[in-house]
Amino acid sequence: MSHIIDIKNLKKYFGNTKAVDDISFSVEEGELFAFLGLNGAGKSTTINILVGVLQRDSGECFVNNQSVDDMSKILPNIGIVFQSSVLDKKLSVYDNLRYRAMLYGLSKKEFEKNLEYFVDKLDLKTILKKQLDKLSGGQKRKVDIVRALLHKPKILILDEPTTGLDPKTRKLVWDMINELRKTTNLTVLLTTHYMEEASVADNVVIIDGGKIVAEGSPLTLKNRFASDYIKAYKYDKKLLEVLQNSNIPYKKERQVLEIKFKNTEEAKIFLVENNVLFKDIEIVKGSMDDVFLSVTGKELKENI
Amino acid sequence: MNRQSEFRKLTYLTLRNIKLYFKDKMTFLVSLITPLILLILFVTFLNSTYESSLLSITEGFNLEQRLIDAFTGGWLFSSVLATSCITVAFCSGMMVIDKINKANIDFMVSPVKKSTLQLSYVLANLFSTLIIAFTLLTIGLIYLACVGFYITFVDFLLIVFGIIITSLFGTILANIIWTFTRTQGVVSGVCTLVSALYGFICGAYMPIYSMAKGMQNFVSLLPGTYATVLFRQGFLNGVLREMGETLPSETIAGVAGGFDIKLSFFGHDVSTLGLILVITISTVVLLGVFLLINTIKKHTKKA
Repeated sequence: MSHIIDIKNLKKYFGNTKAVDDISFSVEEGELFAFLGLNGAGKSTTINILVGVLQRDSGECFVNNQSVDDMSKILPNIGIVFQSSVLDKKLSVYDNLRYRAMLYGLSKKEFEKNLEYFVDKLDLKTILKKQLDKLSGGQKRKVDIVRALLHKPKILILDEPTTGLDPKTRKLVWDMINELRKTTNLTVLLTTHYMEEASVADNVVIIDGGKIVAEGSPLTLKNRFASDYIKAYKYDKKLLEVLQNSNIPYKKERQVLEIKFKNTEEAKIFLVENNVLFKDIEIVKGSMDDVFLSVTGKELKENI
Repeated sequence: MNRQSEFRKLTYLTLRNIKLYFKDKMTFLVSLITPLILLILFVTFLNSTYESSLLSITEGFNLEQRLIDAFTGGWLFSSVLATSCITVAFCSGMMVIDKINKANIDFMVSPVKKSTLQLSYVLANLFSTLIIAFTLLTIGLIYLACVGFYITFVDFLLIVFGIIITSLFGTILANIIWTFTRTQGVVSGVCTLVSALYGFICGAYMPIYSMAKGMQNFVSLLPGTYATVLFRQGFLNGVLREMGETLPSETIAGVAGGFDIKLSFFGHDVSTLGLILVITISTVVLLGVFLLINTIKKHTKKA
């Protein structure tokens, strides 16, 4: 697969603040790429440089093999959803989408055809004629996403796209994006602090204080940075004695015994050695929360 | 093809900007404050003030009520248009509103040239002003048709030219200011200031002739004053011609001077062509300044 986004040694400082500090990563065509970090970590700054809103201090950025120094060839292939809506509140949904679509050279016929797809997928028919500021937060977000996709871009950049969306709408949005990924090979670059969104990405970059602190697939990251757990629901009491005599950390909550291991291999060995003591168990992989905590020393949830 | 596509983008962006202005009731109403003030003042006391001023100048002659009404009506609508073409131009700009609502960021990530976007703001600003000015002109013509209509085709062309050139002048001036503005506070401040002040300094609320000598000299240096006098001539030349049937030429000259239908620049009478040249050259100079500012800004950003 070829790189559709390539970032090399990117730096952006605001005075003494190192918003982005020498980061490099690449995004493959067609993949879902998650950019994970707390507010102020440097995610939005990186994206703003990628789409030409901000100028970089140093480093190189290529989108679709074009340098961001000439955005004219990049912008037709990009759709972006910003953290908060930048559409016209006083105009109707239809007018907002029509005026924006025309900036991409779409004919009226093409616009109507593309719009029909999204109206159907996101159930927009009842709100098309409504003024944007009369819509709920979730409805506005849907319109933002349609605006970003109407011209059928190669790359969709989502900057915290589902913040404030109810679970049903969030699922609706993701179902549609996944369908587009399958049918059009759409590349999705996502910044988020929702673990469930990051954990389904093909690749994840964790950024903290403007620097990349970890990167890889969710599985790789979990294997490298998160612990595995054996949850024992039914067990022999001797298991407690074994654990007390070893250095293996564990905790008991009600009837459930949760034993923490550095990795899957360690858990497997312990299980084989003590299999007679376990009666009802579950082996759980560490979550992306654990990965984030492990690499940044910070809880992601506290920032949401 | 590329040029065609950019022209299409310009058309849609301009339409979007015009629609946004007319949809935003608050912005729309603020831009109409000056003409509304003028109409209220006219109904409450300006009409009778103009009438008694006119009668005092023409004392001893018998003027038809129809001529008096056409004169005061013409004076009112020339004032309304002279001010509206500037105040609406100042208050109907979408450039800063887009900066405030961050819609400008959406355009930055869209494949549209900055010059196209900039031009769309100017064109929308101009067309919004023209739409309102021509609506006001229509209302004015209907009113005058009811009370007394003496406007010839040439006078009408003079008014239309006045509307176009004054709106263009106001639009370019406003866009020069908006280029350096990013906050709602500045926009509101400038709009209020222009709406409140412009009516006075262009001689819309009271004739320049009745101002102090120093003030008269000051306003004769402002291009807007020449536009006002152009509107006065368009609306009132016909009435003056009709008055000339019964009044001596000295009295007509008195009326023309006292009601700004003639302008004097430091003692020299300015002809109609002179008025047209002053306002046209001022607009061209402003356009040059605007283009220069944008070119400098573009190069500064690139560097």
